[in-house]
Amino acid sequence: MAVATFILKRFVQIVITLILVMSVSYIMMYYSPGGFMNTTTMATVLAPLQGQNPILYQQVMDQFQSRYGLNLPLWQQIVKYVWHELTFDFGNSMQNPSLTIMSQLKQTLPISTLLAFGSVLLSVVVGVPLGIVAALKRNTWIDYVVGTVSLAGQAIPSFVLAVIMVLLFGVALPGILPIAGWGTWKDAVLPIVCLSAANIGVVARYMRGSLIETLRQDYIRTAKAKGVKYWPMIYKHGVKNSLTAMITVVGPQFAVTVMGTIWVEQIFGIPGLGKVMQSAFTSFDYPLAITSVFLLGSMIMIMNLLVDIVYALIDPRVKL
Amino acid sequence: MAGTAAATSSDVAVRKKNRNRSPFYQGWKRFKKHRLAVVGLAWVVLFFIAGIIGPWVAPYDYRIGDFLAINQGPSWTHIFGTDNVGHDMFSQILYSIRSALIVAVGATLVSFVIGVVLGLWAGLRGGLADAIIMRGVDFMMTLPGFLFALILVVLLGRGYWSLILAIGIPGWAGYARLVRSLVLGMRNGEMVEAARALGASQAHIARRYMLPNVTGSMAVSLAFGIPGDLAQIAGLSIFGMGLQPPIPSFGNMLAQAGDNILGFPWLLYFPAGIFAITLLAFLFVADGLQEAFNPKGGH
Repeated sequence: MAVATFILKRFVQIVITLILVMSVSYIMMYYSPGGFMNTTTMATVLAPLQGQNPILYQQVMDQFQSRYGLNLPLWQQIVKYVWHELTFDFGNSMQNPSLTIMSQLKQTLPISTLLAFGSVLLSVVVGVPLGIVAALKRNTWIDYVVGTVSLAGQAIPSFVLAVIMVLLFGVALPGILPIAGWGTWKDAVLPIVCLSAANIGVVARYMRGSLIETLRQDYIRTAKAKGVKYWPMIYKHGVKNSLTAMITVVGPQFAVTVMGTIWVEQIFGIPGLGKVMQSAFTSFDYPLAITSVFLLGSMIMIMNLLVDIVYALIDPRVKL
Repeated sequence: MAGTAAATSSDVAVRKKNRNRSPFYQGWKRFKKHRLAVVGLAWVVLFFIAGIIGPWVAPYDYRIGDFLAINQGPSWTHIFGTDNVGHDMFSQILYSIRSALIVAVGATLVSFVIGVVLGLWAGLRGGLADAIIMRGVDFMMTLPGFLFALILVVLLGRGYWSLILAIGIPGWAGYARLVRSLVLGMRNGEMVEAARALGASQAHIARRYMLPNVTGSMAVSLAFGIPGDLAQIAGLSIFGMGLQPPIPSFGNMLAQAGDNILGFPWLLYFPAGIFAITLLAFLFVADGLQEAFNPKGGH
């Protein structure tokens, strides 16, 4: 019961935050200079019309405004857009009026989600063992190498790493892995590696710190005194107890990864959410931009909620 | 004569002893032990110097391309090569360093000032102000700052000031939380209590006792902030929302050269390499500072 109330409370919080974020985003876009009809492509099409047939031009503009509700007062526009988002009725984008945003998302969202989840998985699979090794070999050269490499992974953003990967696999070692496009599993390798570098660093550093802290506890000494063998002790008493702290790190890190997919998709030419989002913001495509904000925000917050639930399930001391 | 000489030398000794005991000298001594941090600091200093003197040493104008020499490899006339409209890459990089530093340092300062003011206010006032500010912090922390930056760029445009504000405004939450926790930790501490018992004013306590104790943590958070903002600017450019060309920037170079990467890879060697090394150097410095001033604090 307590769990249900907790989830309900958090869900309400998420919805309120989303409404706030979407409203603020909409107000900022509303007051921004320029608009979809002023972007380069549309302006070049419309400019001759404005000169030759001002009445038709006015009709086109009016139709456009009423179609997207831009002739309403600001507060009504906000209510309309926010309500439509919350009911998953995303409407049509301005750039592709014949295509619903939902159908665009059906093609792009799975790709970005695959990249993000693949990256979280890879970072846990690689980061946790690295952290364990660093903690057990504390203050040796292995520890320093792991520490420096993790710091490097955190320092260099995914898109810079992506460019370096393209140089490496496109110019220096061509033919091993594809550097652009989307189709086979091979296409996912480099993007996922680029996305994971930062996460691997974070996971390894936290795992190291947390395991060192755990191994200092009294129950480890007791286990040693009892004569528990080294590896079973490390695994059962050490690693298992440090993993709970890890989950709190992996969750928020997922937020960074979701944003990261957007850049990595740009560089590797992957038709994911990133391409859609970029065109939305650069061309003032209100419906698409608000949908992007909604999707990113809800994905991140739901992920954080899941982390809290999993955390409570694993660690009986934590109460929701 | 002998008396004054003796006094002077003992003065010097005292001053030296005091200097040795100052937290900055101690911190510097610890910082020097991290070889990577020192190397990083050298690179960062070089980067700042390049950013400041860039316009005077750049061999070519960043706006003017030589159409007879496009997409050239490195040579003696263009040591880093030229891009697809004949811009000299070396000059482009020098100007990019400048633009990156202007925006990153500016944005970090904007975040820092907002964060410190709100954090101090929340920490010292408490009550309703504290509650409202901390809800704001939670709100900003839930979503990536990049999303807010993106929308702010749509609103403000793509000039220097707009980008400084777009990246700086969403970044305040972390600083505010840090300052608040430092203030709360100290407000009820023995040192402050003793000063208050002796009748020291609030301003005097803040200046004389609180500030010196937070400079280390502040320096560390600023040192982590600048590379973060450098990455954000470049990230915005990749998205087509960074500094408006023709102002050169690392992000634009990375984004543009991506189109013909296989034909002319040298367009990327230097921008990508220098940018990556710079971020790494900043982070090594920040990490060194962290261990020098905050030995207990984890990551």
